[in-house]
Amino acid sequence: MTLIRFKASQEQDVDLSRTYDAIVVGSGAAGGMAAHVLTSQGMKVLLLEAGKKIPIEQELRSMEWPYDHPRRGEAPPGYHAIRFNEYNIRKPPYAKGSAFKHVFSYVGGWGGSDYVKNILVDEKDHPYTGTKYAWVRARLLGGKTNIWGRLALRLSDYDFKGKTHDGYGEDWPISYADIEPYYDKVDLYLGISGHKENLPHLPDSLFQRPNKLTASEVTLRKSLATMGRTLTPYRAGVTTDGVKNKYRSKCFGRGACGRRPGGCDIHAAFDSPTGLIYPAMDTGNLTLRTNSTAHEVLVDPNTGKARGVSFVDSVNHKTYEAKAKVVIVAASTLESARLLLLSKSRQHPNGIGNSSGHVGHNFCEHVMGPGVTGLVKEMVGAPPTLDDGKPGGFYVPRFRNLQDKQPGFVRGYGFEGGSGFSIFPDSAWSTPGFGGQFKKSVREHAGAFISMGGFGEVLARYENYVDLDPEVKDAWGIPSLRFHYEFSDNEKKMCEDMANAGKEMFEAAGIEVVGVDKNILTEGWSIHELGTARMGTDPKTSVLNQFQQSHDVKNLFVVDGSSHVSASCQNPTWTIMALAWRSCEHLADEFKRGNL
Amino acid sequence: MTISRRDMIQATAAAMALPALAKAPRPSPKPLFFTPAEFALVDEMSDMIIPTDQQSAGARAAGVALYIDGRLAEAFEKDQPERWRAGIKAVEALSTEMHGKAFMAATPEQRLALLTRIAAAESDPKSDAEKFFREIKSGTVRAYYTSKIGIHDDQQYKGNVIQPGEYAGYDAT
Repeated sequence: MTLIRFKASQEQDVDLSRTYDAIVVGSGAAGGMAAHVLTSQGMKVLLLEAGKKIPIEQELRSMEWPYDHPRRGEAPPGYHAIRFNEYNIRKPPYAKGSAFKHVFSYVGGWGGSDYVKNILVDEKDHPYTGTKYAWVRARLLGGKTNIWGRLALRLSDYDFKGKTHDGYGEDWPISYADIEPYYDKVDLYLGISGHKENLPHLPDSLFQRPNKLTASEVTLRKSLATMGRTLTPYRAGVTTDGVKNKYRSKCFGRGACGRRPGGCDIHAAFDSPTGLIYPAMDTGNLTLRTNSTAHEVLVDPNTGKARGVSFVDSVNHKTYEAKAKVVIVAASTLESARLLLLSKSRQHPNGIGNSSGHVGHNFCEHVMGPGVTGLVKEMVGAPPTLDDGKPGGFYVPRFRNLQDKQPGFVRGYGFEGGSGFSIFPDSAWSTPGFGGQFKKSVREHAGAFISMGGFGEVLARYENYVDLDPEVKDAWGIPSLRFHYEFSDNEKKMCEDMANAGKEMFEAAGIEVVGVDKNILTEGWSIHELGTARMGTDPKTSVLNQFQQSHDVKNLFVVDGSSHVSASCQNPTWTIMALAWRSCEHLADEFKRGNL
Repeated sequence: MTISRRDMIQATAAAMALPALAKAPRPSPKPLFFTPAEFALVDEMSDMIIPTDQQSAGARAAGVALYIDGRLAEAFEKDQPERWRAGIKAVEALSTEMHGKAFMAATPEQRLALLTRIAAAESDPKSDAEKFFREIKSGTVRAYYTSKIGIHDDQQYKGNVIQPGEYAGYDAT
C-alpha cells in the first residue's frame, strides 16, 4: 500500500475528546485557505487530510539532471501510468486486474514520473466506476497544489453572470465586485506573476514581475494584437518578488516546475502547505491530522446540524470521530460530493446538504485536446537561449462569444502554450531519418517550435453527475464514486473551432503550421473538476448559498470547486481560494455572533 | 532587480538539500541483458543513428547502449526485452540476406546500406527489421538527449540554472 511508504513526520497526538470550533476536511487550495482564514480569526481548527505528509523537497528534487537519475527520471519497473487509449478503450476501474504493482493516472506518465510516484494516488487502492474518466488525484498534505500547473486566472462577470450574457445555465449568486477584494487578498498573500492587459473578461491581478516571452512568442503576440486578441506571459501562481512567508522563497527562474509534472521545492510556486497551512499552524490555532480519510459528516439527531466527522485512519484502518461546532468540506470537487452523499442520516436521507438532489450533479470542467504546433522559420539554426527558466509559457485568453455570437457553441476557450528551447528536443521524436543529417536537423530546429492547446468551458448540465457505486469500495471499505459524465455537442463544436482558430492565428503570424491536433482528450484530462455542490439562491436547485454554506445545514460549508456554478474557461484555483477566503470570513463572523 | 544574499542561500539550500534517495542501479560497465554480440550491434547502430560530428560526440560516447541495456534488464513488461531480442535477430537475418554475413562482420558501407533500407519505412514499418529501426531510434533519442553529452555538448542547453536577477527573454510590450 503506497500510503504507508513514509511515516508522518509529526506525531499525531490529536485530542479527539475535545470539540473544535471547526473541522476542515481536505488540505488543498480550499482547505488550506479555510484553515488560514479561520485560524487567523482565532478559531480552533482541526484539519483532516486523507493522505500522508511526505518530505516533498526530497520527492521533487527539482534541479536534478536527467543523467544523475538512474532511470533518467522515470519511475521504477512495475509502475504504470494509464495511457490515453486505455482510458478510452477500457472502462473504470482502470487498475482492476492490472499486473502492474502500481497504477497511476496519466499524469504519472509524463516525463519525470519518478518524481510524482508518491504524490499521485495508486489507482489500485482508489477505484471508481461508470463512464470513462481520467480522474487525477493526489492524496497528501496539500493535495494537488503540490503539482498544480500554476496558471492563476481571475474569472469575470462574463462567467459569474453568464446566463445573463447568453441565456445558458445559471448565474452565480455573486458578481465580480463581490469577489474582487478577495482576489486581491489572495494575490498579495500568496504572490502572483503576470502582465497587465486590461481585459474585461480576464481581470488583471495585483501582479509581481512577469515572466518573459521568447522571440517566437513576441512575434505571435504582435500579430494577435492586430486581430484584437492577446498573448500574455503565463499568469503564474508563483511569487517572483517574494512574499512575507518564512516557508517560501521567490522564483529564481530555474524552470523546474515546467520540466516535470510540476512541483517547486523552494515553494516559490504556491502550494497549500507552505503558503497556507504552516503559517496557520504558527498561530497555535491549527491542529493537523494526516492519514485521516473522512467518510461521514456526523449529524446531531436532535437538531440535524453537523456535529463532527467520522474518519478512517488510512494506516491502521481504524475509525475515529472528531467533534466540531462547524464542518467545512474541502476535499476536492468529486471527493466532497462523495463525502456529502456518504453522509446519510434520518434527517438527511439523500446525503447531508442534499435536499435539492443536486449534490454530484452539474458536474463540469474544461475540455482540452485540440491544439496547433508551428515552426518559426527565423528561429531555425538560432543559437540556444534560456527559454524554459519559468513556470509556464504563455496564455491566449478567450476571444469567442464575448462581443460576437458563434453559430455552433456558447461560451469560450483560451490557449496555453509554449515555445523555444527546452531540456529535451521534442522534435527529435518526429524528425525522420538518422545519422549526421538527423542530428544536425534536431539541433537546428530545437528552439524553433511553438505550440498551444485549448482549454474550453464544459457546460454545467444536470445530466452530468457522480453518485455512489452500490458495490465497489476503496481499500478502506468506503463506497467508490460512479461517473455518469460525457461531453456534449457544445464541447465538440467548440473543439472544432479551437483547432481551426489556432491554425488561423499561427498562419496570420507567419508561423508555418506543422501539426494540428483535433482529438478531444478523455473527460477529466484538464484536472479542473467543478460544480458538484453548486451555489445558488434557490435551495431547490442549488446546494450552497453565496457563502458556500449549505442551504439545509447552517453549520456545514463546502468551500472547494464543487461550489462553482459554471466552469468558465479560466483555470479555477485562484477563484477557489478567493471564494474560500470570502466565505470563511463570513463564517467566522457568524460563528462569533453565535449564528451557526 | 537585485537579490539578497539570504534569498540566494535559501534557494540554494533548498535545492541542495536532496538526500540520496534513489540509489538505484547505476549503468554497469558490463551489459546485463544483451549478449556481447547483441550489445555490439546495438552500440554500433545507436552510434550510426546519432554519430559524432563537429558539435558533439555521438551515442557510443554517451553510453546509449548501456543505458538501454539497463532498462531492458529490469523491465517489468517482458514483451519489451523480447521485442528487442527478436529485432536484433531480424537485423542479423537481413544482413545475412543482403551481405552474406552478420551485421558487425559487414563493412561500414554494408551496415549503412542495411540501416538506410530499414529506415526508409520509418513512417510505416512492416518487417521486423523495419520495426526494430523505430525501436532502437526511439531508445537512442531518449538516452542520448538525456545524457550529459546530449544536453550540454550537443544541445548546449542553457536552462536548469538559478537566475538571480532579471529573467532571460523578452518583455511583453
